[in-house]
This record gives sequence, structure tokens and C-alpha cells, in this order.
Amino acid sequence: MSPAMETSAALTRGKITRRDFIKISSAAVAGLSMSKPVLSALNFIPQIDNPLDYYPERDWEKIYRDQFRYDSTVHFLCAPNDTHNCLLRGYVKNDIITRIGPSYGYGKAEDVYGNKASHRWDPRLCQKGLVMVRKIYGPRRVKYPMVREGFKKWIDDGFPRDEDGRMPEKYLKRGKESFLRVTFEEACEIVARSMENIATTYSEKKGEELLRKQDYDESMIETMHGAGTQTLKFRGGMPLLGATRIFGMNRFANSLALLDDRIRGAGEENAFGGRAFDSYSWHTDLPPGHPMTCGQQTIDFDLATVENAKMVICWGMNWIATKMPDGHWLTEARLKGTKVVTVACEYQSTSSKADSVIVVRPGSDPAFALGLAHVIIRDNLYDIDFVKGHTDLPLLVRMDTLKLLKPQDITKDYKPHELRNTQILKEGEKAPPNIKQDRQIVTEKLRNEWGDFVAWNQDTSKAEVVTRDDASTVKNFALEGEFTVDTIEGKKVTVRPVFDLMKEHVSYFTPEVVGDICRVNPAAVIDLAREIANYKSETLIPVGMGPNHFFNNDLKDRAIFLVCALTKNIGFHGGNIGSFAGNYRGAYFNGLPHYIDENPFDIELDSSNNSRIKNYSKKESAHYYNYGDRPLRVGNKLFTGQSHLPTPTKFFWFNNGNSILGNLKWHHDFVMNTLPRIECVVVNDWWWTASCEYADVVFAVDSWAELKFPDMTAAVTNPFLQIFPGTPLKRLHDTRGDIETFAGVGKALARVTGDSRFADYWKFVDEHKVEVYLQRIIDNSTALRGYNIEDLEARAKEGIPALLMTRTYPKIMGWEQSNENRPHYTKSGRMEFYRDEDEFLEHGENIPVHREPVDGTFHEPNVIVCGATGLIRPKGPEDYGLSRDDLSVEVRQVRNVVILPADLTKTVHPRRKDGFTLVYITPKYRHGAHTTPVDVDLMSLWFGPFGDVYRRDKRMPWVGEGYIDLNPEDAKELGIEDGDYVYIDADPEDRPFRGWQEKPQDYRIHRAMMRARYYLGIPKGIARSWFHMYVATYGSVEGHETNPDKLANNPRTDYQAMFRYGSHQSATRAWLRPTLMTESLVRKEYFGQVIGKGFAPDIHCTVGAPKESFVKASKAEQGGVEQPLWRPAQLGFRPGYENGAMKRFIKGEFLL
Amino acid sequence: MTRVYNWQLKREMEYKFQDIPPDKQVAWIFDTNKCIACQTCTIACKNAWTAGKGQEFMFWNNVESKPWGFYPLGWDVRLLEELGPQTWSGGKYTGKTIFEGAPYGEEILGYHPDEKDYSYPNLGEDEVNLQVKDGDYIKIPHQPWMFYLQRICNHCSHPACLAACPRKAIYKRKEDGIVLIDQDRCRGYQECVRACPYKKPMFRAYTGKSEKCISCYPAVEQGKQTQCVQNCIGKIRMFGYISNLKEPRQDNPIDYLVHIKKIALPLYPQFGTGPNVYYIPPIHVPEGFNRQLFGPGAGDAVEQYKKASEDEKLIGLLMLFGSTDDIIHSFRVEGDANDRYCAGYDDNGKELIRVPLKEPIIIREEYDAQRDVRRFSVT
Repeated sequence: MSPAMETSAALTRGKITRRDFIKISSAAVAGLSMSKPVLSALNFIPQIDNPLDYYPERDWEKIYRDQFRYDSTVHFLCAPNDTHNCLLRGYVKNDIITRIGPSYGYGKAEDVYGNKASHRWDPRLCQKGLVMVRKIYGPRRVKYPMVREGFKKWIDDGFPRDEDGRMPEKYLKRGKESFLRVTFEEACEIVARSMENIATTYSEKKGEELLRKQDYDESMIETMHGAGTQTLKFRGGMPLLGATRIFGMNRFANSLALLDDRIRGAGEENAFGGRAFDSYSWHTDLPPGHPMTCGQQTIDFDLATVENAKMVICWGMNWIATKMPDGHWLTEARLKGTKVVTVACEYQSTSSKADSVIVVRPGSDPAFALGLAHVIIRDNLYDIDFVKGHTDLPLLVRMDTLKLLKPQDITKDYKPHELRNTQILKEGEKAPPNIKQDRQIVTEKLRNEWGDFVAWNQDTSKAEVVTRDDASTVKNFALEGEFTVDTIEGKKVTVRPVFDLMKEHVSYFTPEVVGDICRVNPAAVIDLAREIANYKSETLIPVGMGPNHFFNNDLKDRAIFLVCALTKNIGFHGGNIGSFAGNYRGAYFNGLPHYIDENPFDIELDSSNNSRIKNYSKKESAHYYNYGDRPLRVGNKLFTGQSHLPTPTKFFWFNNGNSILGNLKWHHDFVMNTLPRIECVVVNDWWWTASCEYADVVFAVDSWAELKFPDMTAAVTNPFLQIFPGTPLKRLHDTRGDIETFAGVGKALARVTGDSRFADYWKFVDEHKVEVYLQRIIDNSTALRGYNIEDLEARAKEGIPALLMTRTYPKIMGWEQSNENRPHYTKSGRMEFYRDEDEFLEHGENIPVHREPVDGTFHEPNVIVCGATGLIRPKGPEDYGLSRDDLSVEVRQVRNVVILPADLTKTVHPRRKDGFTLVYITPKYRHGAHTTPVDVDLMSLWFGPFGDVYRRDKRMPWVGEGYIDLNPEDAKELGIEDGDYVYIDADPEDRPFRGWQEKPQDYRIHRAMMRARYYLGIPKGIARSWFHMYVATYGSVEGHETNPDKLANNPRTDYQAMFRYGSHQSATRAWLRPTLMTESLVRKEYFGQVIGKGFAPDIHCTVGAPKESFVKASKAEQGGVEQPLWRPAQLGFRPGYENGAMKRFIKGEFLL
Repeated sequence: MTRVYNWQLKREMEYKFQDIPPDKQVAWIFDTNKCIACQTCTIACKNAWTAGKGQEFMFWNNVESKPWGFYPLGWDVRLLEELGPQTWSGGKYTGKTIFEGAPYGEEILGYHPDEKDYSYPNLGEDEVNLQVKDGDYIKIPHQPWMFYLQRICNHCSHPACLAACPRKAIYKRKEDGIVLIDQDRCRGYQECVRACPYKKPMFRAYTGKSEKCISCYPAVEQGKQTQCVQNCIGKIRMFGYISNLKEPRQDNPIDYLVHIKKIALPLYPQFGTGPNVYYIPPIHVPEGFNRQLFGPGAGDAVEQYKKASEDEKLIGLLMLFGSTDDIIHSFRVEGDANDRYCAGYDDNGKELIRVPLKEPIIIREEYDAQRDVRRFSVT
């Protein structure tokens, strides 16, 4: 008999004999059910009189001391895309990290000048980092390199293709097959051969023909310029997170110029490398109105500066939930007197720290900001000098053309002025390297395109030339009024200052009208505007991804910037605008081109020399890939500007980025309609995600605790320079460093092509000297130069970071502009609120109008809301060959129809009549950092209210699951109880995927089903799910329906879903916006001080509208197993079901 | 039963054993106003102590949102309901404690949670007390409201668990007042689980014994703060030793906040166990609810916190939270006008740590001639 059976038998007899006791081990005894003490007869009860006083036998205490003991500690860096980058301390016992804790080293961080951070920064880590112990050693680690069965067959069968060049369908069963283990070298070989085959197939005329047959947009085929290497796409996910091992994807793409040369004989001058996708704009983290206003990516600030402010307005930015290690700066500032305000569509977690909570309708933020501007201008609360010096508000606009008045309009033979504060490059002249630049730089051609500007001098009553050099200079320019000038053609033209136009525009956004549009209390608008104006240079406005993930995000930026510029809240330690999302600013390492753009035809193999730069890898936004691998072509027009155009995606390799596939917006459509057109998908990961589920080749890479190659990162929210130290811990699985995968494939390409340069490009990886690459980046970066990589790594191993060396600590973007009178990166050198470029005029956005969201609204989607209709001249739908009444999803993106602000709320979303009632948002949550930690069992257990470690309800896909928050009134109207399973359906036109009506089997997999929570914190009509969760896949649904325990776990791959069916992404899709795809917007390039125009990834680039969806919720299954309600509701502890005691408890009635 | 003096209730009360206070008493301060509900404390504790077989459901530390959050389900509402509404008169508790309110035949009023009550540990997260509406413009005191309540074992001065154990297998360490369940002598009767008003002892079927928070005594014995304090990124917690009410020390962090400023208050003092975790109440929550949890001093504590910027010593101490993993025995605010800082000392008076009351602003030179580089902000 087994010990357990012996024990049961003994218990059944009701007593234990001596014989029983000898047979039963203590472990078996311990396994008994609870209520039978068995050994009490065998121990003495020692004499204990008063256990408050004395306790005789305390030797047992050693159990916990032994448990706590450790052999050594090891530091490693945790850096998912949350922007914090925390050095964690692993406590190691028998070579295993048993627990993690803080390094307490932040207070020891120093720069080369001896400046130090204080211990107010410590401790830095979070629950997700601690949970990582269960991920490093977890069961879903990617344990060895793998190739999908069908894909391997395609390779072994010799890459057969259909007549139109397509991969035959039988090889394309992604998500439904097993994976085969291969060696690392085999995996590299497979990837290299695939690249070569695909690039060759799609090169030159024959390649173009095939792409044409495959129905790619002609503009995309043209953009290839015949180079098949341009169908090979690469992405390192938010590349600042790893200067060499993640940004290395860009370097790899650059090296493929060698491949193009080989295939087409293109030569060093004309070769094209692979293409690299964007990151900041890909995530819609980029606030696109920032470059429109200030010319560079974003104006933001290190969050620690909040204690310098008198007021901080967390605007759609849930600070304490999403910027957790910096939460204390906010609460400490508040303790010391800083007023905290939240502006959000709910009572957020941050609202519990606020002095003032303002609830607004999601996506109505541009209107809200215009309302604030209204009060500030109406009541003359703005800072006149700051406005006249730092903004375009004094510049004159021609009311006939709506273009800015230029000096050449009114002065014959006008020559643009010589500029002191800008370096002009003559034709053919190259910009100095970033490390040598001392001013903003622009080509002569572009400078002449800009020309100069004109304002009305009130002292002289004359129009006066204003140049870039006058940025920050305050003169007595008029802000209001109408003036007349004579053009050189003899015409009399009325001109008005930009401010005058803004004043007219915002006059329609009165507090009452804004109250109606935004569902906000008008008193809140007035109070807030007055307070912002009261605290000039002392109001910080961190804006979050709530407002930014709506289609009107750039308009919201321009309007909030206006409010800040009017009140001198730009560029100061206590007063600034900010936008907070992911860790985007690769530009901190502006020496990176020496690594990612090293010339593959001229590789520097001497570690003591600098490398030479030549960029061969074009960039494009991944939104086109997301959107169906096509540009925005609607009606009779191609809205995507030339410089933005994508190429067809036939090969895709990415690392550190489950969000580009596994958690994609419109993920389910992508899997059905776009993924099959990609011939090879290669994923690097250390954990099995949905991206791995749908991949062809999966490289198993090191977890952060196992890195063997150091790397480097910095942060947009804190001032630290961080090294990923190499760790002494043994690798648990057959993994390699990400950078080794690049080197491995490079070597394989060298073998396949015979060109050793593919391998030479990664020589220092082979020699385990990646420090050479890192030191090159450091030496050539303005914020890093002076550091030595070995010293930095040694300190990181002790848990101590360094400091990034920009001008200020904490970092403040806009500081030089506001404090040292430097120009912004715009044409005029000022913050610009008026956009007179053709594209903006065409879409009615020359002034910052309000637009409704494109889907997530109760009203007419994307309608232009403007009262000053004489100031805008948008082209209407008819101009594009479209009907004005066409509100379908595609047409909406380009629809320019104007409504007066007072009339907006009378309009209705076209799906209201079909029973769609809920604006569904999918924001970020504290228990996720993208998808990095969420499916780890311990994290899933805390991911919302439905976690049960014992999974007593076997319908649960996992120990935690995805859910939607519903306003209880909405839920009751829909017949939904707290805890029920519900279906969430968005516009049937294209969600969950285009063509779902004909594919019922697939529809079952991709249609969203999740739990519902009654949530009192959101107003009626608003619904919310967190965006982090692991989506359902074919394999997970198969597992859910066939596993005996119903776990939604793929029986072949062990992938663990948090949904039974579908996901939150069943309701989202890609959206493209015309004014983000212009050829004319002026902006700083990614690295360095050069200013250009048109497309720039992560700067001027289409983004999406990830928060947007308008949905229907319907009951799928009851919440309880035997009972209709789930247990907490049944027992009366849930809102809407409260028992008597709960009611009294909430009112505080148990204590009088 | 005998009579002991409960200073939190300002009166004598019934208790099982004579009051023999330990030489030192561990205590914690939790500033609820700073908690961000990240659960880093929860996971830190979990990884260190309850990651073993049979402990899957156990969280010795948890953070719950009030009013809808509980772990285990309804733990406080159920006990409050059993005890019934009670009263304070001025600062004195005129109601019944769980010892005095015990039903006939019992020594302690309590209840035994169902196994299923430990499911859904994050129930009620972030949930407010009543419906948010369009156009809500909310100021302090908030309606609606919610806040975060962090809970560990309170290592009470008059522990219910210790009184309830029929084998006296629960004791309070003389040297520091830490309350422990003897893992050798426990027989799993679960009277402690039933009696503890805070429901922190938990039964582990795999070993047949109950376990609870041990105040990380292996760390404390090395002069280090407990795991939940070390890992708190909200920097809301401080661990230390509280002095007797009659001899509070001005420079002892716990004494200063509890006995002198009276800004940190015990949780549910009316249960009568003399808990040693002291909370700074949430300033945005209506006073009625705060009183229910923290007693009659809640209103005053909130007013003090709101005016904290006028009290440099208080600010200095609160800035010290989280800055070190060493146990701070005393503190002082020092420095000249432009450089005020707060320093923490060990029990020998040696400085362990110092933090500025305000983080300095540094402006670097634009051009570093030695390294020939310009330190631009926008790169």
C-alpha cells in the first residue's frame, strides 16, 4: 500500500496503532486532510505559563532562517518597455535565484563630473520584476531553437511557389502545427537561406510582376526600386531598451545591402538593405502633435521633477499605476504642497491621490484643452512676453490663402536672412557627426523653402520680418487685430496674427459647450484654466496614453501645448508639458549610427578605431503592415506621402516585441488576412508568447538574468544610464544572446553567399568583445561621452547605475528653449500652432480643431468640430470621390465634414442603431508591462478580480483571466451580471477580422469572450479592459476544449492563453491618419541636430488609435458554476449585490 | 481571563494572559496616502516565505482596495457584523472588544473562513464606493472614494491567536515582540485562524500546521527591515521599534508618528488586540469611514497630514521612508538653509543614510572642453 493509502486506512479505523505509525512517513501524514491531529499522544507538552512572557523551545525557528539564507547575490537589469529600467538583486542559493529584491544602489549613481543622485530614488523595482523568478525558471521558457513543421517542409521541398509567387497554402498552417527542435546553427542556416530566397524572388522586374499578381498596391512596388531586400523587415522592440542587442536588428537590416549587391549587382552606391520598422510611433506612444508644435519627438520631463511644481495635472495618465517606481515622487510632492489633479474618463487609481478629480469623456481631450484656452484668453490670463517670444502666435496669416505671410509676398527680391543660430549646409555638404554638432542644422534648400516670417510691430505700425534668430526675442508684436498689407502684385490682403485666429477659434469652446461635448463639469474647466494660469512655470501636465491612443491625438497635443504656451508652462523644472508611454528616445545614444549604420562595405575591425557610417536600411511604419500591408488609399486618393510608403512584407524578424504580432491591434484580422502573405516570420524570445505561436522560426534567447553580453539603455522618465551586466548564472536552456542570433545568421549568410563581410560585421560578438560596439556608441554620444563601458558594467554588477549627461538633472525637454532662448526645432524656431502646409489645409487642421474619435465615440466619428468655419477650408468627401453619408470604417479616416461645437452631441455613431452602445477602451494596468509578466501564474492570480490559484471554476482559461469592466447600469440593461462571461463585438464590418462571416470556425477562435466586472468607477457608456492579456490562439482554444482540465493551453507548444476565446484585440484595429503622413512637416531627424521634413520614423509618422472601439456586450455564460452568480456576488460582497453588512460598512456605520 | 491596560483603547480590557511587555516591540508605519497598490510587498513576501507546497493561496502580506477589497473574502465586514456597531467616547473605547464580545462558551469572538474565501485575492481592486457619473468634479473629501489598505500580521501586544491556541504553541518573542506560531508544536487546530480578527494565520494542509507573517525575523536579526518594507517602491513603509506610551522618544521614527504626532493609528483598534502596524489614514476619504477603521484620532491625523508642509521634521522623516534596507533607530533633520536633509541612525547613533528634503536641481555646463562634447537636452 502507498503511504497515502495506509494513512487513509488508519483514519478510517479511527485510531493509529504503533504499527500504523511506523508505516506512515511524516510526509504522508502531512498530506492528510485537515481535521485529524494524529501525533499528539506522542509529544510532551512543555510547561508554558504565559507565552507573552517566556517560551522554552525556540530551536524550530531555524526553519525560516535557513529558508532566508543565501549564498550570493547577482544584479541584473529588468527592462520591459515601462521606461524604468531597474537593477534587480537576485539572491542566489545553489545557483538558483530564489528571490529578488532592490539593489538600493540608485543613491550611489554618479556622472563623470561627480554629480550624484540621492537615496530618495531607492528602492526601484516592482511586483512584475519580483514575479520574474517564476518566469526565469518557468515552464514556458523557449528552451531551444525551433522551426515550425510546415515551414521546415517548405525549405526542404526547395521553396516551391505558386504561379503568382505565393507560398502554397499547405505550408501556411501557422498556429496549428508542432515545432521541431533544431540546433542553433541549423536555425541560422534556415533563416539565412529564407532571406536569400525571398529577396531574390522579389528582386527586379520579375519580382515586381509577382508582387503585382499578389495584389500589392502599386505605390509599394514602386517604392522597392527593384530591390528584393526591401521586402525583408526587421524590428528590435523599442530599441533604446538594448543599444546593441535590440537596436542590433537595425544593424542587421543595414548589412543586407551586401545581399542586394549580390543579387542585383547594385553596388555600394545603389544597394538597399532590409527595412526597419518603427517603435515609438508603432505603439502610438508618439504624441504626433509634439513634432508639429516643437519640431522634435516629444517635450517631456523626468517624473522626479514633480516636487518642483505647484500643480500637476495627470491628464489621461495614470501615474501611480503605470509609472510605479516614480509614484513616490508624486505622493511626496503632494505631501509637500503640490496640488494633484486627475483628468480622466474614470476615477483612476491616481485619482485616489488627487486633490481634484475631473471626469471627462474619453477622446474628447482636444475640446477640453480648447475650453481651457478659451478661459485663459477670454480672461487675459496668458503670459504676454512668453507668447510673443516663444510661439508663432504673433506671426501673420494671409486671410486670402490661409498661408503664413512671407516677406517675399510684400517685399520685392526678398532674400532670406543669414542665420546665426542655425548651421546651413550647402548643396553636397554633409552635416558634422552628432558629437561635433553645436547648433541646429538644415540644408540651404530647406532653409530657403522656409524663408522667414512676418509679424506686426505695434510700435511702428508696420509689418516686420521675423527670423529663426528671433526665436525667444520679445518685441511689441500685435497678438490681436486685422491689418492690411500690399503684396508685390499690388493686391491688398488682410492679415491677422495667429493668436487672433486662435482667439476666434476657441471662442466657440465655452465652458458650457465644452461641458456638453466632453461630459465635464463647466466649473472644472474654469477652475482648472485659472489655476494653470495662476501657476505659471509651476504647472506640470503629464499627458498619458489615454488621450494619445485616440485618432485625434495630434490635435489634443496642439491644443494642450497651446494652453501650456499661453501660461509659460514649457521647459521649466516646475512647469512643462509631458507625454508618457514607452521608452522611446533612442536619440539619447546619438552615437548609435556608428553601430546600427556602420557601412557594411567598409567594416572597421580594429577595436581602437571609430567606424564609418552609411545607412542602407530604409525605415517605415509598421502600421501599414498592421493595416493589411497596404498604404492609406481611399476613394480616388493615396493619402500616404511618398516618403512614408511601405514595401511589401515577405520576411519579418523581430525581438523583444510580442506587441508587433502576439498583442497586435487587430491581431485577429492580422492572423487571418495579412500573416499568410508573409513567407517567413522569425521571433526571438525567452518565453512562449502568441508571437511564437504564429512564427516559423523561434530563436531561444537568454532571459535578463542570464545575459552573457553586456548591453546598455537609458530612460525617458528618469535620469539614469543603465548597463545590463553580464551575469555569472548558468544558462538554463539551449539559449543564445539576441546579439548572437544576429551574428549566427550573419555567419550563415556568409556561408550561403560566400561573402565573409556578413560575418565580419559581427566579429566582436564572436570574440566576446561587444564592449567595442558599446564604447563606440558611448564615445560618439553627447550624453555619454566620458564614460568607460568596463567601469559602468562593474558598477552595474554592484547594483549601481550611472547618470545620463544631458543639460539638466532631472531632465527637462525644452529647457534650453525656455531658459537660454534657443530655438525650437521648427521652421520659425518657435512653438507653432498654425500649420499652413497644404496637407493640413486640405484636412481642415491648419488650426487645432477638435475631431471626434474615429470609432470610440457616441457621436459622428472623426467629424471636424469647429465654430470658426471661415478659418478652415477642408476638402470634403466628394473631393475624394466619396459620398458625404459614407461613414464606413475605411472612409471615416479621410472624412472631412464640419460640425459646429454646439451641435456635436446631437450626432450619433452609425452603429448605435445596431445595438452598439459602449465606448471600449484598453489602457495600461499596473499588473502588466505590455505582455511581459502577465501569464506568469503569480501575476495572473493578481491580474484583476478573477484570479483563483486552484481554478475551482474549470471554465477559467488559466489561474487568472481577461475581463471587461462595465458600468453596472449598462450591464443591468444588457442582462449581464457581475462575473458573467460575455461576448464583446465591435464593428462587424471588419472585426474581429475582415471576412469573418464566411469563416465560422475561425470566428469561434477570434471572437472575444471574457468575464465581466461591475465597476462603479466608470461613467455610463464607457467600458474597459486592460490591454496586456495573452490572446486566445488556435492551439489554446483546442486545449481549452480538449484538455481534461480545460486549461486554455496549447497541447503542442504549452502556450497559455488568458482568454477562452478571442481577446481584447478582437475589438481593435489599425487606423491611419492623413495629416501624419505628410511630405511637408518640418522636424528634427532621429539622431542629432539636423532638421528635415516629411517622414521620420517615431517622429512624423502614422500612428494608430489603439484605445478606440465602439462595441456591443452580450451575455455568453453565467458567472457561477452551479449558481447563476459567481461566489462573491452571491454572498453579497459585490456592488449591485451588497448585503446589509456591506452597506453599513461602506457608510462607516459600525463605529459611532 | 485577566485585565490588561490597552493604551489604544484608553482603558483596561479582558485578556487571557497577564500583560508582560517584551523588551522591544517591532512596529510598522504605513502611509496609506502613498500606497500605489502595486503589490510589490505582496510578491516580495510570497517569494521569500510562501512559495512552497500547500501555500499557493497564502499571502501573508496583501493590499486590498477599500471598500470592496478583501483577503480573505469579507474578513472585516463579517467580524464587524458579528461584533455589531460599537462606540467611542472621546478617545476612550466604550464598546466591546472581541474578548469581551465573545459568545457564551467562547473566549474570543471570531469566525473560521471557508477555503474558498481565499480565492480572488485581488477582488475589489480600485473599486469606488458609489457610481461615478458624467461630469463628476470631485474634491476632498471624495465622493466617490476608494483607497488602498496594506495588511500584514500586526504582531499584536495582546494577540488573539496567542490567546486562542489550546497548546500555547504561539508565543511573543521577548527580545522584539514578534509573534510566532511554533511549526514544531502546532497541531493545526486552527483556533488561531478563527480567532485572529485580521485573519493572518493561515492553515497549510500540506504540513498540517498554521503559518503566518513572521516579521522576517531572520532579516530583523541582521538589522534589516522586513521584506515588505524593503521592497515597497511607494516608500510608504517604515519598520522599527515602538517605545512604551509613557516614554516615547522624539527622535524615534515610530514613536514620533504614533505617540507624539499621533498621525499614525492602529487598524481596527476596537477589536482589542493592540496591533503594532500604524497607518496614516487616507486624507481624501470621508471621516466616518476612517473612524470605523482607525478610531477617533482619524480626523486629527488627516488634518496634520494635510498641513505637513508646515512641519519640516515630519516632512524629513517621511522622506526617509524606503531609502535604506537598514533598520533606522533614530532620525534628525539637519543641514543649512539650502541643503536640508534628514538622516537616519543605527542603535549606536551611527549615520546609516541621509536624504535631501528636496532633490537638488543640477545644470551642467553646455560645453565640456576637456571631452569636446556638448551636453544638449534634445539629442
